[in-house]
This record gives sequence, structure tokens and C-alpha cells, in this order.
Amino acid sequence: MASHGVARPATIVPRTEQERIEEEREIKQYRELEDLIRSKIAERQYTVEVLELTSKLLKKNPEYYTIWNVRRRLLIYGLFSKPLDSSSHSTESQNISQTDIPTTSSAKPFSSSSISSEASSTTPQNPASQSHGKNGTTLDIIKADLDFLFPLMMKYPKCYWLWNYRLWLLQEGNQRLGAEFAQELWSRELILVGKMLVKDSRNFHGWGYRRTVVSQLESPKLNGKSMVEAEFEYTTKMIHGDKGLSNFSAWHRRSKLIPRLLDERHANDATRRKFLDDEFDLIISAMYTDSYPYAQSAWFYYQFLMTTLTDYIGHATITPNFTTLDRSEYVIRQLAILKDMLDGAEDCKWIYSALIEYTLALCQMEEREPDIDEKQDCKAWLAELRKLDPLRSGRWADLDNSLRK
Amino acid sequence: MALVSGPGRAGALPDELQLAVEAHVKYIQSLDTRRDELEYWLTEHLRLNGLYWGVTALHLLNRPDALPRTETIDFVLSCQAENGGFGAAPGHDAHLLSTVSGIQILAMVDGYEELEKRGKVVAFEGKEYKGKEVVGRYLSGLQNKETGTFAGDEWGEEDTRFLYAGLNGLNLLGLLDLVNVDLAVDYIVSCANFDGGYGVSPGAESHSGQIFTCLAALSIAKRIDTVDKDKLGQWLSERQVEQGGLNGRPEKLEDVCYSWWVASSMTMIGRLHWIDGKKLTEFILRCQDPVGGGFADRPGDMVDVFHTCFGVAGLSLLEFEGLEEVDAV
Ligand SMILES: [Zn+2]
Repeated sequence: MASHGVARPATIVPRTEQERIEEEREIKQYRELEDLIRSKIAERQYTVEVLELTSKLLKKNPEYYTIWNVRRRLLIYGLFSKPLDSSSHSTESQNISQTDIPTTSSAKPFSSSSISSEASSTTPQNPASQSHGKNGTTLDIIKADLDFLFPLMMKYPKCYWLWNYRLWLLQEGNQRLGAEFAQELWSRELILVGKMLVKDSRNFHGWGYRRTVVSQLESPKLNGKSMVEAEFEYTTKMIHGDKGLSNFSAWHRRSKLIPRLLDERHANDATRRKFLDDEFDLIISAMYTDSYPYAQSAWFYYQFLMTTLTDYIGHATITPNFTTLDRSEYVIRQLAILKDMLDGAEDCKWIYSALIEYTLALCQMEEREPDIDEKQDCKAWLAELRKLDPLRSGRWADLDNSLRK
Repeated sequence: MALVSGPGRAGALPDELQLAVEAHVKYIQSLDTRRDELEYWLTEHLRLNGLYWGVTALHLLNRPDALPRTETIDFVLSCQAENGGFGAAPGHDAHLLSTVSGIQILAMVDGYEELEKRGKVVAFEGKEYKGKEVVGRYLSGLQNKETGTFAGDEWGEEDTRFLYAGLNGLNLLGLLDLVNVDLAVDYIVSCANFDGGYGVSPGAESHSGQIFTCLAALSIAKRIDTVDKDKLGQWLSERQVEQGGLNGRPEKLEDVCYSWWVASSMTMIGRLHWIDGKKLTEFILRCQDPVGGGFADRPGDMVDVFHTCFGVAGLSLLEFEGLEEVDAV
């Protein structure tokens, strides 16, 4: 119903009679499976067999959110509290090593009262499932379910419901398992999301998921500790990877980690200044190599660094104890670097736009009007922008008006 | 509002850049007749949302009667679940997004009276309610009372698009006072990034879809004053690519649906003139299938009702002749 990137055939070939019959058969099968699941659930058959029926349906249609909800109810009201019959579940769990199942009593038993009151008000609990399962059963089921999801996620990386269900499973793990087992599950997730981001380094769900996984692993309830150093390293690796410099997501993540990183390092003013210098060097040398002055994402990060100097109130900052004079000096140095950068990149609109923006920002920081030279420069740069970037001529016209004031 | 333009008008666009109104109407009408295609059944989880996209497109195309009103209302009401929310189809679980689609359809076809008469009676905290009040209370129950944001359903995942949908639904019902709007605004402000944009949650990267939902929610809350309009306007204006269409994030492909989210966001902050409207109009028109009807994400791709809705809405925002004016929110 919302397709992306699927080419429209030049001519629509009508289905042959055989194709029509085949499609009719597929529809019938699909709808019968759907009806079967619904009738089993209506009878409150929260069993492994019904779980497998939902697996079959979800493989055909991972967007069917109601069936994901059915699956949650199957687990909460039935399977989490019963020992798993591994032979009947083997189709889904072949790849699970049996040695993963803990045999000690350290897996925290859970009680029916841990079920959220919201959920139990919508589906009455199956009275037959009150007995507590063997230790490890819940962990085993959660692992099997995570493994069931993995190939689907590789196949449909943008399917929201898969990410949603996966997170729910892990949250259930937090509630039902001891911290060390929950921690183990989240650690596996970090590896998984790493794999997903290798496959598509810009996957929006993937980056968001990574943030969630890391914040879980850092949380006190999992006896976690800060991962900010490792995560910062990860963004460095991504930026230096294939097409990394145009990885907006990686630059964004880096910008969010820096303030925390410096705080946790207890960085003093000199270290912070050095850090800012290094980040400027990183982005500027990147712009000089591989013809990156034309990549938007690199400019995004440059804008972030400049904002920490020009527009620091209410925003993240790297050097909180800089005086206004320090800030001005840095901006002036950057303006000189940008002017140099124009040499050989006269057709790069980003440089002109940055020159205007930070010239005006400098005046604002120094609480003065632009002088005659600055005004002349800005007008000349604006004239270039109008030539290079006619799509945004309305924006340049507004800028022109503000320069005339 | 201009009249529907006929073909061959003086000074009109070349043939391939005419809006194929009749084809689009037929395409939308045909959607519910495809029960012999597997795809029809595989997309049942979007049926109510799909109906909303279709009804919206028809209203904007000035053809509100092209789908029968009574059947439309009957279908919407048949999707209501026991907890008062609406599922995507009869028997599907209630979800915030399909509930808001249901409300939007009822609002467009003037169906609130039927909801009062035939909607489910549901008890909240021991007291029975009916009609709009039931739907409003289902939605308000999804607000996180501590952070102000909304979950999509009883299973609890939160996202700024749910926050917008929740406020939008409650606003259409006239029941915004059931939730804490100020807290919701605070949450949106906490999702703002230094580039002026917004992400799905605090700390997430700016994304056009999320920017749209945050601005629309702020518009409903009458708090668009919290936005850094120039910074955000710059970021949004850079979404337009050479071909005229708009993308969702830097260095991504252009798309009709993002064209709507970005262009309407720019309208909400008074910066629509920062992009080339003529080129955007032409891009959207190139995405239509002039023969079979409907719009695709990009020229030459398969059409669908989702992109058809946002294609027509985008044209309407750009004041294309013959279309009803669309509300950016
Ligand atoms: Zn799209």
C-alpha cells in the first residue's frame, strides 16, 4: 500500500488463467491460516503449535501487527510460564545451542503479577498457565524468538513492527530474567545491530535501535557502566569506513556523544581546546580529500562544531570556559580556512553559505554591525550562491534583504 | 479556489504534466475491488489508513462523492475494537494510527453523528462513555503522564509521530483537554537538534517525517514559537534535489511522500518560498501514472494510494489549479 523504489512495468500483462488460479489458491491458504490462528486464540490455546502458526503467517506478512500482538499474548499467557517442548519447537529453534540454556536456578522466576495490568485487562489470563515453568524456559523462548526475527529483519530492514516486537521481547527479558541474562541478551543485540549497520550504514531504525541497546547496557538495572568511549570509537570507525564521510547518521551520533565523553574524561580546559582542534582538523582534512567539500553530511558536522562556538547557549558545547575573545579567535581562524578552501572549489555552494553564516555570526558575537568589507564580501558570496543554487533563490532573496538592513 | 482546469488550456503545462484527475479518481475507486489479488490481503493491516489516504485525495481533487459515504462510515465503525480504539480492519487490534485515520475519515465525511449513535460503549475507570468520548479516552490513555509523549498501543512503544497523531485525533474530536498538552510540547522541544530539526526521541537525528510530526503537533498546541525557523528552514530547503523533488534526510533519494512532509513543514514555519515550487510541482506530476491513475514515490515506479494522497496534497499545498486547499497540519 506504500511501495518504494518498485519499478512500474511499461505494459501491464494480464494474468494467465493459471496464474489467476494460483493466486486464488495462495489467497485461500493465507486466509485459512489467518482464520485458524484467530479461532485458536479465541479458544485461548496459547501453545507452541499456535506460535508456529503465527511464525508461518508472519513470514508471509511481517507487517501484520495484530499477529505480532497475538504472539505477545501467546508468550505472556502461555509459553513463558511452561517448559518448552523442544521437539515440537524445533522448526524454529534448530540454530539454538542447547548449552545456552542455564541449568542453575539463577534465572529469576516470575509471577503472574508481573504481567502489566494494561495487557491483562484486554486479554484475560489463561487459568491453566499459572504454574511456573522450569528455570531457563523463558530465556530459551526469548532467544528462540529473537533468532526467528533475525532473518526477517535482514529481509525487511525497514519494517517497523519487527523492531517494535524485538524491543518488547527484550523488555520482557528485563522483567522476567536476572540482570546477567538480560545483559547477555542486550549484548547480543549490539552485535546484531552492528551487522545491520554494516549492511546499510544509514538505516534509520538501526541507528535508533543502537541508541536504545546502548542505553540499556549502560543502565544500572543491568549493572551497566558507561559505553561512551566505545561508542565514540564506533563513530570514528564508521566515519572512516566506506562512504563514511557522507554518513550523516554517524556524524550525528558523534555530535551527541562528545559532551558526555568530555565530562566523563573529566577533561580540563586545555584538553577540551585540543579536542576541538582535533575535530576541526578531522573534518577539514576530510573535506580536502576525496572531494568532500560537496558532501552535505560533512558540512552538517562542521556546522555542529561551529555552533558550539557561535550559538552555545542552550546547545551542546565542547569548550564551556571559552571567553568571547577565544570564540571570536576560533571563528576568525575558520573564516580564513574557508576562504582558502574556495581555491579550486569555486563552485561549492556550501563554502559560500558557511562564509556568510559565520561572518554574520561573528558580528553578532562581537555585538556589532558588519563593517564595509564584511558587507562587500557577503554580497559577493551571495551573488555566487544565487548563481550556483537557483533552486533556493527565495532563501537567497531573504538573505539579501537582511544584509541590506 | 480555482475551477477544475480542462485539458488544452492556453499556456498550460505539456500533456505529461497535466493532472490526470479522472484517472486518479478511478484508481482510488478501484482499490477495494482487488480482492482477487494476494496483495489486497497482505495489506489488510493498512486498510483504514488506506481508506483515509483515498478519501483525502478525493476531497482534495474536489470529488468527495466518488466513494459512497454510508459504506465508508459503516467500514470505519466496523473497525472499532472493544477498548474504544480502531484497528486497521475489522478484527484487527486497536492502534493509535488507525484510530486517528478513523477519526479523520469521520471528520471529512461528516460522520460523528453516526459514531455517537453506533459507536461502542466502553467503560473507563468504572464509568461508561459513548461516541467521540470513547475514542478520545482511548487516545488519552496512550499518553505517558510523566513525559507527555504517546505510545502507539497498549504494548507501549513511543515515537514523536504518535504524539502528533494523538494530539491531531483529540483536536479533531474537540477533546484536546483530555491530555496534558504542555507536557507534550516540552517533550517535542527536548527532541530538537542543533540543526533546528527533530528526531523520533531526544538524541535521535533530524528526519523530515519527524520534523513534520513535531511541527504539526506544535501547530495544534499553538506553540510554533518554540521553533528555530531560520535554522530549520535552511535544513528543510536543502532537501530539494536537482530533479525538483525533496528527500527525507541528507544524501537520500527524493520521494513524493517526503515532498509533502518537507513542503508542509516549510509552510508551517513560513518558509515554503525557500524552495523552487515550480520544479517541485513538475516532479510530483511526473510521479503520476496518467493512464492507470495514482502517484508513485518517483517517476516510473509503482503507484500506491499512500503516495497518491501525498502527491495530491503536495500539489494542493503548491496551489495547483483545481485542487481544494489543504491544511498543512
Ligand atoms: Zn515515499
